[in-house]
Amino acid sequence: MWVTVRLVAIAFAIAIGAGTLVAALRVAPNPWLQRIGGLYVETFRNIPLLVLLFISFAGLRRAGVPVDAWVAGTASLGVYTSAYVAEVLRSGVFSVSRGQIEAALSLGFTYPEAMRRIVLPQAFRTVISPLGSLIIAMIKNSAIIGVSLLALPDLLKTARVIQSRTFATDEAFFWAAVGYLLLTGTVTLLIRALESKYAIKR
Amino acid sequence: MSYLFDPGNWEWLVTGNNARFIIEGFLVNLEIALIAIAFSLAFGLLLALARLSTFKPLSVLAGAWIDVFRNLPLIFLILYLFLGLPAPWRDAYEDAVPGFFPEALQSGRVLAALLGLVLYNSAVLAEIMRAGILSLDRGQAEAAAALGMTYRQSLRLVVLPQGLRRMVPATVSQLITLNKDTTLVSIIAIQEIVRHGRILTSFNFFGGVQAPVLQVFIFIGALFIVVNLLLSRLSRRLEIRERTRTAGAPKVRVAGVEDQVAA
Repeated sequence: MWVTVRLVAIAFAIAIGAGTLVAALRVAPNPWLQRIGGLYVETFRNIPLLVLLFISFAGLRRAGVPVDAWVAGTASLGVYTSAYVAEVLRSGVFSVSRGQIEAALSLGFTYPEAMRRIVLPQAFRTVISPLGSLIIAMIKNSAIIGVSLLALPDLLKTARVIQSRTFATDEAFFWAAVGYLLLTGTVTLLIRALESKYAIKR
Repeated sequence: MSYLFDPGNWEWLVTGNNARFIIEGFLVNLEIALIAIAFSLAFGLLLALARLSTFKPLSVLAGAWIDVFRNLPLIFLILYLFLGLPAPWRDAYEDAVPGFFPEALQSGRVLAALLGLVLYNSAVLAEIMRAGILSLDRGQAEAAAALGMTYRQSLRLVVLPQGLRRMVPATVSQLITLNKDTTLVSIIAIQEIVRHGRILTSFNFFGGVQAPVLQVFIFIGALFIVVNLLLSRLSRRLEIRERTRTAGAPKVRVAGVEDQVAA
């Protein structure tokens, strides 16, 4: 279970970093930057994670790049999710009305300053809940890493190993299910708490 | 980079039947996706209605069912059903499959794959449908009731047509996810695109060329991108058509608006 948690935590850090960068590209004033961002999102959103794992692990290894299973696993999951993160952040930025940024610019803020101090703090509130669903999706997607050829000993892989040794299929998978539901349940509760903390009080 | 674009590393694509072999595998994925989509939509609607039922125990039960299957990894469900389904079930499936189905779908393992896909996706779709129906103004159902419609009539004629229309974007993006997730059935050795890719790269196949892993899987990824982009284009078309139809007069397309809807 801790392998699963660690996988998700590292991949989430990658996804947030890359996703923010791509979202910034997509809302940038330059149309070429927007196009590059769009290409990135459409590519990684439409490719199956399993195929991405094959490319980043077996593919690079055969090409002579010695990648570690951990690096390939977290990078794949992170890059895959970053496309979704970019979309969430972008719609968050769009949810802040244009007048806000125009007001900031006319007050003498530079564009990056206006983004950082005016738009992003407001956008943060609207993206909490979709980001939470992405974390839950990552927990579920991390199960693919273990049973694919990367064979990291995460929750599902461990259950599979126990099953193949003892043939206690129902017991092994029942406890794995409990593990996954605990993880996703905890995240759901945390997100709900965050949401109500940052909700606009009326 | 030079490795990636070296023509020698792309030679496998035009050698023998390699490209055809991959695309045949892809067709199996699409067939699995189609069957799973049909069942998931139907079963998801039933779940959503059960969840919204005024009969408390049914609604609570449906809610628990949805929450459990929505929060378990799909690959977990597929693997468990593959290992845990009783053998007679599989035999029953093998007997029941229509003969015109392709060979890859004749195996009893496909039952585990389909069941897993439907259990997971119907739960997710049920939640989307529920949100679509709940987003309707309460007055709509009340007005229908006031006009003397029965519950069924108001559902069929008033609530569902409007609610379902609102959930088209969310549903299509879930169906794209389902399409990608069909690659997961390769874990239980169903002969689809990922399996075919691995066969090409693992030993000398057609014509004695061992295909490089990187290029084969980039090609597979590109196939998925093409099909999924077509799917999302289609859904945008649908949305815009619906909007112009329901608004009566043709509306000017506002740049960027549909992108936000799709997000």
